[in-house]
Amino acid sequence: MEKVNQIVEYVQNNREQIVRDWSEQLILMDKQRVANVLSENVYLNICNDYVNLLINSSTNQQSESKISEFTQKIVRLGWTLGFTMDSLSAFGKIVFFPMADKTTEKEQVEFILDYDRWISPINIAVYNLFAETWQRTVSLQKIALQELSAPLIPIFENITIMPLVGTIDTERAKSIMENLLQGVVKHRAQVVLIDITGVPVVDTMVAHHIIQASEAVRLVGAKCIIVGIRPEIAQTIVNLGINLTQVMTKSSLQKGIEAALEMTSRKVISTEE
Amino acid sequence: MESESYVKIFTEWDIVAARQLGRNIAKELEFGTVDQARITTAISELARNIYLYAGQGEIRIERINEFGKRGVKVVAADNGPGIQDIRKVMEDGYSTSGGLGAGLPGVKRLMDEFDITSSLEEGTIIKTVKWIR
Amino acid sequence: MVARIPILKLYNCLLISIQWELDDATAIQFQEDLLHKIHETGANGVVLDLTSIDVIDSFIAKVLGDVIGMSKLMGAKVVLTGIQPAVAITLVELGIHLQEVLTALDLEKGLETLQRELGEKAWRANPM
Repeated sequence: MEKVNQIVEYVQNNREQIVRDWSEQLILMDKQRVANVLSENVYLNICNDYVNLLINSSTNQQSESKISEFTQKIVRLGWTLGFTMDSLSAFGKIVFFPMADKTTEKEQVEFILDYDRWISPINIAVYNLFAETWQRTVSLQKIALQELSAPLIPIFENITIMPLVGTIDTERAKSIMENLLQGVVKHRAQVVLIDITGVPVVDTMVAHHIIQASEAVRLVGAKCIIVGIRPEIAQTIVNLGINLTQVMTKSSLQKGIEAALEMTSRKVISTEE
Repeated sequence: MESESYVKIFTEWDIVAARQLGRNIAKELEFGTVDQARITTAISELARNIYLYAGQGEIRIERINEFGKRGVKVVAADNGPGIQDIRKVMEDGYSTSGGLGAGLPGVKRLMDEFDITSSLEEGTIIKTVKWIR
Repeated sequence: MVARIPILKLYNCLLISIQWELDDATAIQFQEDLLHKIHETGANGVVLDLTSIDVIDSFIAKVLGDVIGMSKLMGAKVVLTGIQPAVAITLVELGIHLQEVLTALDLEKGLETLQRELGEKAWRANPM
């Protein structure tokens, strides 16, 4: 254990030099990307934070939250896990080489073991928290993406439109379908027009989802019309052998609305003077 | 943290009991309404299969937690005659009971994970999982 | 104990609202009761409201499908109303296609649908 204290003392005493060497190396390592955006100061700060972490951990002062703070900082800076691991290992070398300089091989091995035993828990905590933070960011992004999902817009009494934009994967399809059905019930829609003008690709999977959605709409008690089928989409659908005969389709939104009005016993007339 | 509840399937009433247990656990785990319906319906299908083909068995429902993901695991187990041809049974539209043939392929679609082992001697075990999204 | 589902009559239509979870026996009993009632009253329309049902598995779906087919044979059109979004999605994902089934949002729209399907006179006429 006293070896660890030795290491900590060494780090504390040579702190400035270590931090400077380390941040120089980091900047070199990261030449391609982040170095252009981040100033030298940022690196110095991160290095200092890490050293603080190490020093404080040996005195056990609230290490968990400090590690968490540190990790969140580097995630926000855009460090990848790989870069982080390389950086921390570079630190190890910077500390090791001077300290191991005038020692025997046996002492060197002992030193490595002690050093590793001391610093591993900290680094592992950093990696784990890193992964967790990353995971959390990804799920927040996913939620934000889902919130972009299709709105349901009532245009006439009993007639609603859902414009779909973007690619429809299985998960998005599920959430669109839920949204669609709840909207149909809420707006008491008799006819729903699903506009796929903004959907770039309609393959068998997407067609399957559209067919499922339209069946579900029928079960709930409304009718579904698909509009906005571009010529390329029509070609793809037929070429892929997708059977859309169960689903009513119209080429344009206008035609769709006319059909919907007809289905609800209405039509558009012009009022003449 | 795992905690398991189960319903033994002997009569048609047990199918209802299994549904109710499933619905309660799904609600408790705060699954969305549609997922609650998916889980409850899947349980109903599995319980019904046990009742129709094996005569008796049990449905085990477990709350599971894996690497921070929470979900529910439903295991349908029976000591019945086993399924002769699993592949056939997993084909859509195949039905030996004159039902609408929704059966196992349907259950697979409703749940996130699906696993089935069946043999003449040991009966059938079906494991399914649904994760909270 | 098998619960009996109440069947109401409005003009030439039968109205049913299923208020609780359908177990197998109740479902079969209901099928019988409905067909008897159709026969008894000569009704030509049925509105079956499923708003309170939150699970329809393949068996119940079959019973419903059969009820619709049998009623049709007895001269009555059936409209299913109030199927919940969660139930609709589950049915569709299960792969159960209730083909040629008339559906409507709720009881009111269901009656309107029957009116359209049967024509005004037939809906209101009181056969003796």
